[in-house]
Amino acid sequence: MEGERNSDEKESALRGRSPTTASQDGGERMSEVPFAQRKVEEGKVYSGDGVLGYLEMMEAQAHELGLKQEEKEQQEKKLNRLKARVQELRARRDELRAKVELQEKRLLDKEGTVTDPAQPSAQTVLEWKLKGVRATIQFFYLTGISGKLTTQGVCFCISTAYEGTYMDSYYVDILTKPEVKIQLHSVPVFIPLEQIAKKYLQTDIRHFLSVLSDHLNAYVGRRHQAEQLEEQFSDRIEGTLQRNSLCNLLVFNYNVSKNSKTFLFNVRLLYGDLCHSLPTEAIISCTSGTLPLLAEKAAAHSYAFRHMALHKAFDSLINAKEGQDQTP
Amino acid sequence: MDKSVYQVYEDEIQSLEEEIKLLAEKYEDIQHESSFFSDEEVQKSKEFFQREFQGGHKGHGSQLYLIQELESLERDLSFSMNFLGVQITGHSKKTLEKTAIRTVATHSVSGKCRFLSFCLEFQLTETQNMYNVSASITDLSIAMESGQQSELSKLVSSYLKENRPGYEK
Repeated sequence: MEGERNSDEKESALRGRSPTTASQDGGERMSEVPFAQRKVEEGKVYSGDGVLGYLEMMEAQAHELGLKQEEKEQQEKKLNRLKARVQELRARRDELRAKVELQEKRLLDKEGTVTDPAQPSAQTVLEWKLKGVRATIQFFYLTGISGKLTTQGVCFCISTAYEGTYMDSYYVDILTKPEVKIQLHSVPVFIPLEQIAKKYLQTDIRHFLSVLSDHLNAYVGRRHQAEQLEEQFSDRIEGTLQRNSLCNLLVFNYNVSKNSKTFLFNVRLLYGDLCHSLPTEAIISCTSGTLPLLAEKAAAHSYAFRHMALHKAFDSLINAKEGQDQTP
Repeated sequence: MDKSVYQVYEDEIQSLEEEIKLLAEKYEDIQHESSFFSDEEVQKSKEFFQREFQGGHKGHGSQLYLIQELESLERDLSFSMNFLGVQITGHSKKTLEKTAIRTVATHSVSGKCRFLSFCLEFQLTETQNMYNVSASITDLSIAMESGQQSELSKLVSSYLKENRPGYEK
């Protein structure tokens, strides 16, 4: 039985048909015949196994060719699909471009509102209104304090910003019945939320949110300054910047030069007011004995840190014009 | 066949899909920003669908959902306005630039803060970065009713000056 099958396969291989592909599409492939002839002409006769070996080699090669042919067809199909998709998308893109151009032209021709000449559908009106309401809600989000009604109370969102750029948002979910209570919140643990709530929540929710917002805004401001200092001046800071989670205590070291000598300044910034993003104290120290020499410089640096944003203060200090003291 | 042959087409497909998305959004934005419907028209539209639904017409489920969504958001907005004491009487937006990475729009907001009328204008830039969208405000201007002079307008103009970049509170 097996022997019979084998000889059949070899016969078809000899005739130039690959057994596998023939069964798949039922067609004959003629290309393998000249190939086989070429092989014989090249002198690649497997004399070791004789005819059997030769037939096996033919079969393998025909099989391989069949696979390659299949692969080629698949690739062509894929390419055609991609080409068709590109055509389709180009057409849609051009259509949209024309639509937008027409719209813009209409706007220029007719100053002001351009409502569709045909009576707008109720659907259009409502969708327009919905989009507008969403935009105004976004505006309230931008003001820093906004709220969304929940089944049992209100979920407030405090969005923070520093120098015009928005930072993280924090949520406080407040229950109003039977009493005013915070159910959930995303305020970091190092912000004194409980203290603030204890003081204001029951009497004046607005005040509570305002104070909380001040704390959060100041915190993100301090954090941003510390991050900017690390990012922009990592090469000028000796060692690493040390800070606590609340970012109200920062310690770092940097080099200053005077009279062609280099000294190491250690800065300790204390932000005593948690609602502020500037330090209340900027203590500068250096290796013992040298401070009297550098007292003036230290005082100037301390002043800068207390009155300007950290990364900007540092920038101005290291880029200060060469005076009597030479560069810092 | 070389993989790079596919890549050329695949790249073009991706870029076309992005462009189509932006163009569609631009069309919607212009459509929205240049339309205006009065509160009466909005009310009539709501009533139209509510009547249709009551009349037993099928297929208005999505419109009713639209009305529900609208009313829910209007309630939230009304709450925020009452809570903060700021009533917004007008808000319009004009998109100046829109790419896959950045959207810039100017906003005009008019309203009343308790008894004071104001008009606020600013430019909002939203930039898509790796993890989220970052937003920043520039060119903020606040105009108040000329009647309320002296202290308040001084406060407003000093606030605006202080909040230019470079100043620290």
